[in-house]
Amino acid sequence: MEVGLLGGGGDGLFHIIYFRLRGGGGGNNLEKVIYAKKLEKIILDEPTSGLDSTTAFRLVETLAVEKGKTVPSSQIVMDREAPDQRPPIPISKRTEWADVTPIPQDDGPNPVVAIAYTDEFRETMDYFRAVYLADERSPRALQLTTEAIHLNAGNYTVWQFRRLILDTLCVDLHEELDFVGLLARDNTKNYQIWHHRRWVAEKLGTNATSNELQFTEEIFSEDAKNYHAWSHRQWVLQALGGWEDELAYCDKLLQEDIFNNSAWNQRYFVVTKSPVLGGLEAMRDSEVAYAVKAILAKPENESPWRYLRGLYKDEVQSLVKDPRVASVCLDVLMNKRDYVHALNMVLDLLINGYQPSKTLENSIDALCLDSVLSDSGLAERVCSVLQVVDPIRANYWKWRKSGVTVEGPNGKELAG
Amino acid sequence: MADDDPIWEDAPDSPSSSSFFDRDRHIRFLEMMYQLLPSPYQSQEINRLTLAYFVVAGLDILYALDRIDKEAVIHWVLSLQAHPKNEVELNNGQFYGFHGSRSSQYHLTDDRVHEQVAIPNGSHLASTYCALAILKTVGYDLSLVDFKSLSRSMRNLQQPDGSFMPIHIGAETDLRFVFCAAAICSMLKNWSGMDREKAKDYIISCQSYDGGFGLIPGSESHGGATYCAVASLRLMGFIDKDILSKNASSCTINVPLLLYWSLQRQAQDGGFQGRTNKPADTCYAFWVGGVLRILGADKFIDEGGLRGFLLTCQSEYGGFSKFPGSLPDLYHSYYGFCAFSLLKERDLNALCVELGITAIAAIGL
Repeated sequence: MEVGLLGGGGDGLFHIIYFRLRGGGGGNNLEKVIYAKKLEKIILDEPTSGLDSTTAFRLVETLAVEKGKTVPSSQIVMDREAPDQRPPIPISKRTEWADVTPIPQDDGPNPVVAIAYTDEFRETMDYFRAVYLADERSPRALQLTTEAIHLNAGNYTVWQFRRLILDTLCVDLHEELDFVGLLARDNTKNYQIWHHRRWVAEKLGTNATSNELQFTEEIFSEDAKNYHAWSHRQWVLQALGGWEDELAYCDKLLQEDIFNNSAWNQRYFVVTKSPVLGGLEAMRDSEVAYAVKAILAKPENESPWRYLRGLYKDEVQSLVKDPRVASVCLDVLMNKRDYVHALNMVLDLLINGYQPSKTLENSIDALCLDSVLSDSGLAERVCSVLQVVDPIRANYWKWRKSGVTVEGPNGKELAG
Repeated sequence: MADDDPIWEDAPDSPSSSSFFDRDRHIRFLEMMYQLLPSPYQSQEINRLTLAYFVVAGLDILYALDRIDKEAVIHWVLSLQAHPKNEVELNNGQFYGFHGSRSSQYHLTDDRVHEQVAIPNGSHLASTYCALAILKTVGYDLSLVDFKSLSRSMRNLQQPDGSFMPIHIGAETDLRFVFCAAAICSMLKNWSGMDREKAKDYIISCQSYDGGFGLIPGSESHGGATYCAVASLRLMGFIDKDILSKNASSCTINVPLLLYWSLQRQAQDGGFQGRTNKPADTCYAFWVGGVLRILGADKFIDEGGLRGFLLTCQSEYGGFSKFPGSLPDLYHSYYGFCAFSLLKERDLNALCVELGITAIAAIGL
């Protein structure tokens, strides 16, 4: 049974079937386009949100009639709107706003990508324009920005004005943190909310440190890779402090999910930037051990391999000389499974002058097809195996192989 | 449309279009968006220019720009430009670019026009990029308009570390806006709006230990950020066309590591992921695929696999969704079209990857 979904949904993903009202006369100019599908059943999800009652009624009528062509009207199912989604009292009907004249938006005669604003949205922004132009920094204006933000959390003009009001009214910013916190949970990918949070935290200073770290941890408990939250956390550490437990926190997240690349990245951040740890050189030894352990647990996990490589970032010769690097590659290769990343690391070592042991050579040759064994160098043979076991990148490995042949195993890091 | 022209009699009665790129359906999808966006889009009101960019540039990729009224588009876009009243205003530290929509743009009513009231200026770097991209796409001659204020005031947005703020009243700074700045300068053929060396330094500081780029220094490597970094460097002239054949150490960024990181983003299902160990998502076929195209390494992509994944994200309603089986949205649709252009799908216009518009639009024919 095919089902079409109409209208509703406010999470940014829009439902693309929308509908055109046929029949002239009356109502407003609102038009939505019915998509051409032979639908057996239509579920109307909050169909009347954004429509005045006349239009809504006409919509249902129209659908019932049009639908008669394909589906009996009895098949139209109306979702009951959730109780907390009843529209609020229009601002024009609130006595505290009686003295303000709303300023309508002037879209001009031919607006491109016009948006079907709901009445609530339109009215809220009309009143916002009025207080904004009048520069009214009052409690009612603050409340208005709250409503405007709920409708359009990305509107930086509203956020900026809100900050001006908060400053002027000397509002307790701890309450503001609560407000932003709730918003952030519902809009995890909104830049303005996080920027505002940072502004508040900056004002509160180091008093806010543990609260901010705690807040990001709450976000991570639901989405351990939330990019905004990680940026915020890094900012908190650098601006306000709180480094002491950060490495342990990374470890905790990695225990929960060793594939969490955000946590690996954070670990690198801590190791290189924390004022209480001594820097990359001092930490390298223990971190290599940490990475090796993670690799052996899940050799197919790209993160710890990249992390290991990153620990030797600009010192490739040190990477080559660290016996644990070749050793972990060998361990993985001997198991004869999930060895793609190991082979890539071996290739890195070889083109930077690593002299392979016979054991390593044998472990690689054991993976080769007979035809490959005649390839002159070990590095070429590694590329040949990779062409087979990592077919998505077969062309890349073929190119690497030709590069090795041309430059030689001790050549400049051509494509390492 | 006439009343006796029910749309559904026009629609092909085809099964779910998962085996070929359904250009006709995508054109229809964009046409609908061009006419009217449903109410859930009001939460993106502030970025209406960006939504318009997706539609107009999208139609251009699909070779269907005749579906729009170019004059109307030009008129609307130009009406969103912020103009300083005089030299004093121009030097007040604000940015005079384009507003994203009327919701950040204010006009004084006629009876107040004589007052000495400063009109709030909320023009935005990303909106400015989108405005210029649209104008170039519809063939508007940018030299017809005075963009001196734009270039001069753009400097106000660049930070000491080389990054860019999007608006002068304060906001987050990251690689996205470095890209916007570089693209704007490139389209205007005028680099006085930014300090390229400083911008380059900032970009370099965003390269992560694994070769990809984060949005800000220290952040995790991310497909979108990496595109912004590489496209900016290309636009500013810091990356050559045949960079792969050159010695790695002659480059300002670690190219081999970047190359490997980018290629590694193609997952087993054929799609591109935005970060290591995350699910593949339609839009990264452009963000990361575009990086590989700029590096001259798109020949290393498993094109069949990518195409297969993208087709599972193609919607039977037209457009593309983020993941297979989700509903489509304008953003993922646009980048889906871009991705197919990169795959050299027939009947699609080629892209100027680093500018984010078609090659024809970029040249200005």
